[in-house]
Amino acid sequence: MVGAVNESVPARVVIADDDPDIRALVAIAVKRAGLELVESAADGTAAWHALQTHRPDLAVLDMSMPGLTGLEVCRLARSDDSLDGIHLVLLTAAVDDQSRAAGADAGADDFFVKPFSPRELALALSALMATDN
Amino acid sequence: MKSVIRLYARAMKRLSVDAPSPALKQFPTASVFTVAALLAFFAPAIVVTDRALILSACVVMLGATLLAGYFTRLGRVTRWALIVPGFSLLAIALLRAGTGGATSLFSALLILPVLWIASEQGRRWILVAIFGTSASIMLPYLLYWHAPETQSEWFRGVFGPLVYGVVAAIVNELSRQGRKQMWSITRLAEEREGMLRETLSFAGKLQENELSLHAAHRLTRSVLDAVTEQSVIGTDLTGLIDVWNPGAAVMLGLAADETQGKRYVFEFHDSHELEDRSRELNYPPGATVLNPGFSALVESARLGRAEVRDWTYRRHDGSELSVNVAVTPRVDEEGATIGYIFVATDVTQALEVARLKDEFVGLISHELRTPLSSILGYLELMRDDDESPLSDEQLMYLGVAERNAHRLLRLVGDLLFTAQVASGKFPLDVGTVALSDVVTAAVQSARPVATAAGIELLIELPGEPVVVRGDSVRLGQACDNLISNAVKFTPRGGTVTVALGSTAEDAIVSVRDTGMGIPASELDQLYARFFRASTATRNAVPGVGLGLTITKAIVTAHEGELDVESQEGVGTLFSMSLPLPRKSLLDAA
Repeated sequence: MVGAVNESVPARVVIADDDPDIRALVAIAVKRAGLELVESAADGTAAWHALQTHRPDLAVLDMSMPGLTGLEVCRLARSDDSLDGIHLVLLTAAVDDQSRAAGADAGADDFFVKPFSPRELALALSALMATDN
Repeated sequence: MKSVIRLYARAMKRLSVDAPSPALKQFPTASVFTVAALLAFFAPAIVVTDRALILSACVVMLGATLLAGYFTRLGRVTRWALIVPGFSLLAIALLRAGTGGATSLFSALLILPVLWIASEQGRRWILVAIFGTSASIMLPYLLYWHAPETQSEWFRGVFGPLVYGVVAAIVNELSRQGRKQMWSITRLAEEREGMLRETLSFAGKLQENELSLHAAHRLTRSVLDAVTEQSVIGTDLTGLIDVWNPGAAVMLGLAADETQGKRYVFEFHDSHELEDRSRELNYPPGATVLNPGFSALVESARLGRAEVRDWTYRRHDGSELSVNVAVTPRVDEEGATIGYIFVATDVTQALEVARLKDEFVGLISHELRTPLSSILGYLELMRDDDESPLSDEQLMYLGVAERNAHRLLRLVGDLLFTAQVASGKFPLDVGTVALSDVVTAAVQSARPVATAAGIELLIELPGEPVVVRGDSVRLGQACDNLISNAVKFTPRGGTVTVALGSTAEDAIVSVRDTGMGIPASELDQLYARFFRASTATRNAVPGVGLGLTITKAIVTAHEGELDVESQEGVGTLFSMSLPLPRKSLLDAA
């Protein structure tokens, strides 16, 4: 069941970013947070597909991606009952407050501005998932 | 006989009645006297008592007549001409004395000079005439120095002048009235002439006015015609179009004769926009007698102010056009509003440019920050790698790479920020800001750099807190910029002093350095984007010239002022004054 995480089973994570280096960086942060990376998507459409397929506990999504944007994936995830309880974290290169507000509106739990520190991202992700326990 | 009468009439016609010359006045006297003298010399019936007297009479009369000629030639009216009839009287008196005195045939001649004297202006001349005739009549007694012998002689001396006096009085009165009439006639003529002159000059002025009116009209017309990139539309108070320039014809696809007096200006507006605006203005139902959309359109202009606002025009073919419209009232001579003028500029292109600019800024933001994310992220991974820790040397290399990556990142941030400022999108997160904290934080963050550069960094804070309304992050950025500039531009061993103070109205943050200074000629360019002082380039101080642009923009957005004083080689003082909130506002916060 989605969201039901116990200590022995690490939370499952889908990440999505169109930049492969960032994708790899996020993947490292996910691993350091002690989470399990189930899929790494290169665009929004693939990300949404991965969410439906894997029903992960957490998705880390870039805001501007080809296909669907991170915001659109967020909205779809929030309106999908089968993804109830999923944690959503957005990454963005935009610095304005509007995108932060837009992220919150779309239902994101957290918001990271690029460039981000992989160390801090790992800490934030593990903290976020720890609240579920 | 007839020819004589005609001759006489012709001669009389030539008489100038209102101002006869002395010669003309003398003419009858001299003529009749000549006849009398000829009679005295040659008519045997005439009694001649003293030939010498008659001769002397002739001489006096000749003199009088010559004098009359002289006064005529003089050309101007003078009372002295009256000596002519005076001498005439004397001549007649002598003639009379020479032809028998009291019994003389020629006493009647006296009437002619009397007429002249009596016709002078003023009643005193009646007395002069009486005295003159009296003297003439009494002349024989004077000449022979004996008093009249008989009573009848006395009476003659009195009665004759009495008759002449009455005649003189009548003549005097008649001439007075004549003169009066003449005067009023002249006056009337002058008046009419004046009026005619006035009418003529008025007509001239009228023509002049008409010409200048035509010129003004032509000028207005040519100005309107010359405006081809803007539409200029004039309406009356109800919005009915009466001015439609070629720019409007091009912009909206209708010629002037298709709109003037036929169409209303609001017909060319997006009706939904007008409805939205009237809702915004919150017109109570039925409050506007005009088309409510039109009222919304001219709301500010109606109150006498010009209004500039973006609207959407609908062309004749139904297509739409984004315009920036300035609405101004039209007034008559008394200042009453009689209509409105709408000057519209097509901003479709400008909006597109602004959109592209925003898009570009977004793109730059994304495209520059994404690689920087990778660089900084992987550098951090390298530093955090516990399994194979880096040597001190490697850590130092890493530090340099990180520092420069951060410098790039700041530059991208500054570029984005100035782009936001330029496009007017500059959000301020306004709250209550304790400036002491902001200044302290800025000084602390600059301290490592200052220490490394061998610069003393001093801070002066007031005893009590200084609080303003503003965006603490932006104000911090402004302080950072000023302090890091001061540190950058001050040579080793120098001092940078950051002080916070306040006046009655403003909080003042000042940053003083003992640096290289800014040439006076460059002070006014200081806030231009990418401007770098010659002292900065000469001394190879790094930077791109955005810091002060940003600082200035932040200060301006806070309704504050940024001032600079600088002396080359001595130092620079930047003062940032920010308005202190009124007490009530602070309490509310």
